[in-house]
Amino acid sequence: MSSDRVLLEVRNLTVDYVGDNSIARAVDGIDFDIREGEAFGLAGESGCGKSTVAFALARLTRLPGLVSGGEVKLDGEDVLKFDKARLKAYRWREVSFVFQSAMNALNPVIPISEQIIDVIETHEPNLGKEGARKRAVELFELIGIPPARLDEYSHQFSGGMRQRICIAIALALKPRLIIMDEPTTALDVVVQRDIIEQIVELKNRLGFSVLFITHDLGLMIEFCDRIGVMYSGELVEVAPSGSILTNPQHPYTKALGNSFPPLTGPRVRLEGISGTPPRLTDLPVGCRFAARCPYAMPVCREQAPALRFHPEHQSEAACHLLN
Amino acid sequence: MSELAHTPAFPLRAESAADLAAAAPSHPELMRELGVRPRPGWTANLPAGLASFLTNGKGMAGVIILLVLVVMSAAAPLLSDYNPNRRAGKPHVMPSYEHVLGTTRLGKDVFTQLVYGGRVSLSVGIGAGAFAALIGLALGISAGYFGGRTDEIISFFVNVVLVLPGLPLIIVIATMVEAASPMVIGLVLALTGWGWAARTIRTQTLSLRTREFVLSAELLGEKKWRIILIEIFPNMLSFFMGGLVLGTIAAILAEAALEFIGLGDPNAVTWGTMLFWAQNNLALQSGAWWEIWPPCIAIMLTGAALVLVNFAVDEITNPQLKASRKIGRIKRFLTRRGRGADVF
Amino acid sequence: MIFLARRIAFYFAAFFLAITFNFLIPRLMPGSPSDRIIASFQGRLNESQIAAIRKAYGFEGNLWEQYVTYVQSVFRLDFGISTVQFPEPTASLLFYGAQWTLVIVGLAIFFAFFIGSFMGIHAAWNRGGFFDSFFTPINVMMNAFTPAIVALVLFYAFSLQLKWFPLGRAHDPNLMPNWFDLKFVGSVLYHATLPVLSIFLVSFGGWHLGMRNVMINLLNEDFVVMARAKGLSENRIKYRYVARNAILPQITALALSIGFALGGALVTEQVFNYPGLGKFTFTAIGARDYSFIQGQLLLLTCSVLVANLLSDIANVILDPRLRGR
Repeated sequence: MSSDRVLLEVRNLTVDYVGDNSIARAVDGIDFDIREGEAFGLAGESGCGKSTVAFALARLTRLPGLVSGGEVKLDGEDVLKFDKARLKAYRWREVSFVFQSAMNALNPVIPISEQIIDVIETHEPNLGKEGARKRAVELFELIGIPPARLDEYSHQFSGGMRQRICIAIALALKPRLIIMDEPTTALDVVVQRDIIEQIVELKNRLGFSVLFITHDLGLMIEFCDRIGVMYSGELVEVAPSGSILTNPQHPYTKALGNSFPPLTGPRVRLEGISGTPPRLTDLPVGCRFAARCPYAMPVCREQAPALRFHPEHQSEAACHLLN
Repeated sequence: MSELAHTPAFPLRAESAADLAAAAPSHPELMRELGVRPRPGWTANLPAGLASFLTNGKGMAGVIILLVLVVMSAAAPLLSDYNPNRRAGKPHVMPSYEHVLGTTRLGKDVFTQLVYGGRVSLSVGIGAGAFAALIGLALGISAGYFGGRTDEIISFFVNVVLVLPGLPLIIVIATMVEAASPMVIGLVLALTGWGWAARTIRTQTLSLRTREFVLSAELLGEKKWRIILIEIFPNMLSFFMGGLVLGTIAAILAEAALEFIGLGDPNAVTWGTMLFWAQNNLALQSGAWWEIWPPCIAIMLTGAALVLVNFAVDEITNPQLKASRKIGRIKRFLTRRGRGADVF
Repeated sequence: MIFLARRIAFYFAAFFLAITFNFLIPRLMPGSPSDRIIASFQGRLNESQIAAIRKAYGFEGNLWEQYVTYVQSVFRLDFGISTVQFPEPTASLLFYGAQWTLVIVGLAIFFAFFIGSFMGIHAAWNRGGFFDSFFTPINVMMNAFTPAIVALVLFYAFSLQLKWFPLGRAHDPNLMPNWFDLKFVGSVLYHATLPVLSIFLVSFGGWHLGMRNVMINLLNEDFVVMARAKGLSENRIKYRYVARNAILPQITALALSIGFALGGALVTEQVFNYPGLGKFTFTAIGARDYSFIQGQLLLLTCSVLVANLLSDIANVILDPRLRGR
């Protein structure tokens, strides 16, 4: 499905949260690529910075967040340096966003139709009102909701339908990348499955890339081509999704895999990861996982390991054990 | 699937870092550029809310103004040898060495009346504000915590108190009590002014009620009053403070207004009755500005100081408001680096 | 519809509570109004005269009978006879004053709400900027300057010193009241300028702060972030996605603020010698004209309740979430 052409190059992306008396580094200089047509997943415990990355890529970092350094390159241009006009064209045409809670992502007092049509009209003014409305009808058909309900308000739809509507809006301009920040977390399991299947089907048909973020590692392995594992604001491993579970390189990835139930096979006792991640305002010098890592060596506490490609495993990992 | 097609995104971080213009500044550099200062050492042992209040410029400015007013009123006998109720000189004397703020038409010393009046006005205002906030706290927590019938009944009365026009109601009561003393006015103001505090605290309690720490205390079989006192009340302190400040503003303004229109006891010395006499004696029309402006300024200063305190309390109860304080520096940070500064 | 029905039921209950208050207060206080009048004749009245006075003030029969009579008279808009402007019925005095109060309070609230809200939108949108850091505190502080003082300052400066505005009255006494005569309307507006300005100055800061704080909280909502992600124009996000939602709680607050503004009008009218409800109330307080004082409370309560009902209807129209309910 995915090609080797890189769509979005993320280099040294750094995001800080500016507090009253301190600064927390939520994302600390991470590098990764999203390729055309691929589904790239970001996994990790809550608070590891994966959603922060998603918002930074879309230029949607909210106060008190600040993208303090790095580059996000799209066709050689730095997204972070876009001026107003270029940014407007970037938004939704090239990258669109599906939020965790569709309930909150749709304005409760504006009809759904208007929330679809306004984005089409903004970016494709020559379509006209009629054309935009026609596109909205097509989008509703695409996600399987009767277009007659187009003029209703968000509270009149069920949770699953609302998330579908958000996906439809995300598709309105046929973007190259859709960022999905835990799109199914707020839904029940059955609806979750439906939605994921629908996304897979649409992705195969329309060929967009996806940046997929979820707590659910099983779901992620099933849906994504490659997965990046984040810990405490850093990428510790980037690998094809198949090897995340079967051949994890970084001890944290191993631990994360062990804490999720296998999809098939016998029931095994799950192991949690003891301890908590370091405080972001007060990060250790060496490897951030060292304090919780069963294999930690003296060097781990003194020197931070860099993310390196290990051809024999087809993956990148940041761990002294592998050197 | 692309497992086999997987190639590294880039060879090594060190190499690519060389051509990166957008290196992130280190934490100390960033703190300097954004003007983030570490929490002062002396606040280290204080609770976070209190510490952020004490380091809030607006809030402390308000507290200092209030303290000056309170201390001046408390020290009234030391500041003036005159009796606020007696003639101290000729009528309508201009401000001079003998009479710092001049005299009224009845020859009473304005400065003396001002500092003695502050005693009554401030204590009635703060007392009524505190009483109203206490009623609001008790009813708000009960309604929010117990829910069901209790909530319905309390909410009904909260809505009634909010909907009934305060001042006209107080006027009816005050007229019936023939020359209402400052005490009576304060009491009536407290009994009609608790609506907002009750409503906010009820909403907050409702959202707290389903939090883990309250639920776990309930599962552990804690007594209800203990849960309210130990788990819920500390979280309501800042909202209680907000209610207290707003209640005090309302009470001081309403007291002044009531006395100004002649509903108070004309023999009591308060800022409101000073205004009443000045207006009745046509101080403005006869050019005796010093009789009318001092109580005006005192009331305005008190109001302004309380508003400043309220800004600080607002920033504690609503962190969103605080985040906007850094926005200017964040914008400059981005502009300096040639990056779009559309900050939200 | 159920929502509106419930609100209407609540307003009826609140209205009855206000009537009951009004009924009970003089009866709970030591010395009822009729007793005071009787006392003022120092025993020169005979039995039947005393009974007549008691009857005129509704103090005849047991408490329940008195209450029923009282409620009936309220619904007949019969508030008794004014003692200040004897034998004018209190009701007609009330309505005469109310029309002028309506002029100044209506204009003041209108300007305060719109100008304050717009300032709040602007301050929230550019929060942390110069306008927000400077004018937000100043405007809110003006909120805490009692109307009495602001009115006195304006009266002193513009009426007494500069003589730009009149010293009293609601319109030029040489003009016949006629709302279709532009000259008359102009004179009304001219006389109303300073009273309106004083109520405006002490209330627009509240709208400014309210709108600003609600807007700032909304700016962090996902639907606003999504509107930004969609690349919509600034104005569309600002007005259609944020202000549109922020106005809903403001409308509820608008209705509740009418009571406050009426209180402000009371003092303002006194300073400007403006013949509204407040001025009459002031006179009535001096003369202990109880029927008028009670009447003003009922009239004001009614207007606040009606305003609340209107704001509920506006909310139902503007908020689709309430429509189905």
